[in-house]
Amino acid sequence: MSELSAPARHAQAEFRVLVVDDDPDMAAFLARMLRKEGLTVDTVHEADAALVQVLASPPDLILLDVMLPGDVSGFDICERLKADEETALIPIVLVTALEDQQSRVRGIRAGADDFLSKPVKVEELVARVKTLRRLHETRRELEARRLAAEVQRKEMIRKAFSRYISPRLTERIISQVGQDSAPFVEHAQRINVVAMFADLRGFTRLTEAIEVDKVVTMLNEYFAVATDAAYRNEGTIFSLAGDSLLVGFNVPFPQPDAAMRALRTAQETMAAFVPVLAGWVKRGGVSTGIGIGIASGEAIIGNVGSPHYMSYTIIGDAVNTAARLMQMAKAGELLMSGPVYDAVKSALPAGAASRGNIALRGKAEATAVYALQLGAAS
Amino acid sequence: MSSEELTVKVAKDLEDLIPTFMKNRNKELEALRVALAAQDFEQLRQLGHRMKGVGNSYGFAQVSLLGRRIEEGARSGDRAALESCVAEYRDYLAKVQVVYE
Repeated sequence: MSELSAPARHAQAEFRVLVVDDDPDMAAFLARMLRKEGLTVDTVHEADAALVQVLASPPDLILLDVMLPGDVSGFDICERLKADEETALIPIVLVTALEDQQSRVRGIRAGADDFLSKPVKVEELVARVKTLRRLHETRRELEARRLAAEVQRKEMIRKAFSRYISPRLTERIISQVGQDSAPFVEHAQRINVVAMFADLRGFTRLTEAIEVDKVVTMLNEYFAVATDAAYRNEGTIFSLAGDSLLVGFNVPFPQPDAAMRALRTAQETMAAFVPVLAGWVKRGGVSTGIGIGIASGEAIIGNVGSPHYMSYTIIGDAVNTAARLMQMAKAGELLMSGPVYDAVKSALPAGAASRGNIALRGKAEATAVYALQLGAAS
Repeated sequence: MSSEELTVKVAKDLEDLIPTFMKNRNKELEALRVALAAQDFEQLRQLGHRMKGVGNSYGFAQVSLLGRRIEEGARSGDRAALESCVAEYRDYLAKVQVVYE
């Protein structure tokens, strides 16, 4: 047995039996015998009370007398419980008179799991109940192990992805595990993405003059602001190196408003960075600010690496263009490619400044570039 | 009835259930009399059937035996046999001794 089943066995689960018998002495007798075996027993004496009890607090086993006063017999109760999805799996032992062959046949038709004869022999009672209990517990243990394995699998995925994907996206991925549409398929995909690059302009030069501890603290403050904005807009963080950050949108899940999400991420990052930068200036008079580039286009997405190190990677024109735009951006400035600007301009009442067509290194065609002054620079 | 039939051995762990069991048997006797007076054979049959089931479970073989005879007598409508059974039951309940072991 795997170790997963161990906790289930340590604390033997409670096993509840419902005894339904109109004769109080018979019910008391059965209850006494079953309690002696360590089972929890409830007794009821009428059909209606039995149905209410089963629905209110489903037992693990029902001992059901076939002869009950009133219009509803034990067979009727059995039939009803077996017809209801909620209660169909509760084993039912019908208690009948020994010579009553007809009752047995009727009981089988009603879906009874086992039979017990009156007068009840204690050994027989205990043996039947124990058998059904073992079956029940085996089923419960199998179910628990299945659930535990599933939880473990999802936890692995959560750990693997939650570092570079927003928590909400992680949840979506986990909810799709096992489905054909799972986003992290083994093969790479070519899809349209919106890529956003951000960095601290001039920061590398600054680091030479600042104490090491301070540099790390400052980077952490800056990345906290940027990743927070990216997660809020459900972007996927592809890389975080030095002082630059690459966030992808429309990946791994389609986002029809990917460009808007990228713009909002830029705006929120810049806005949240204002007080951070003010603190830096106060402490040391540094001169920097965030520069951001956003571009859209086809890219290849996939898990790249070796068995020892894997990275969820994005490669393509959109990424290169976003990187170039970021390098051109001044502190506090966002530069967008033409298609990105077209997708978001309705949300920018004041528009953005056209920088005309700029030839980007390594690209045959010139790219239209639009600039938006968003944030602080010092 | 032999003295052997009048002494019932009951498992120790059922001891505290026996006073209620005996009280219910006396109520049952009363119900049998009422049903017999009213010639309610269906009621007699049910009472007999119940005696048959519960008697032996507790170790009271005689209760089950009488129960079976009452059930049969009620089915065939044999009033004399039923009267005899009820009288026997009354006698039995008055004299029965319980030993716990």
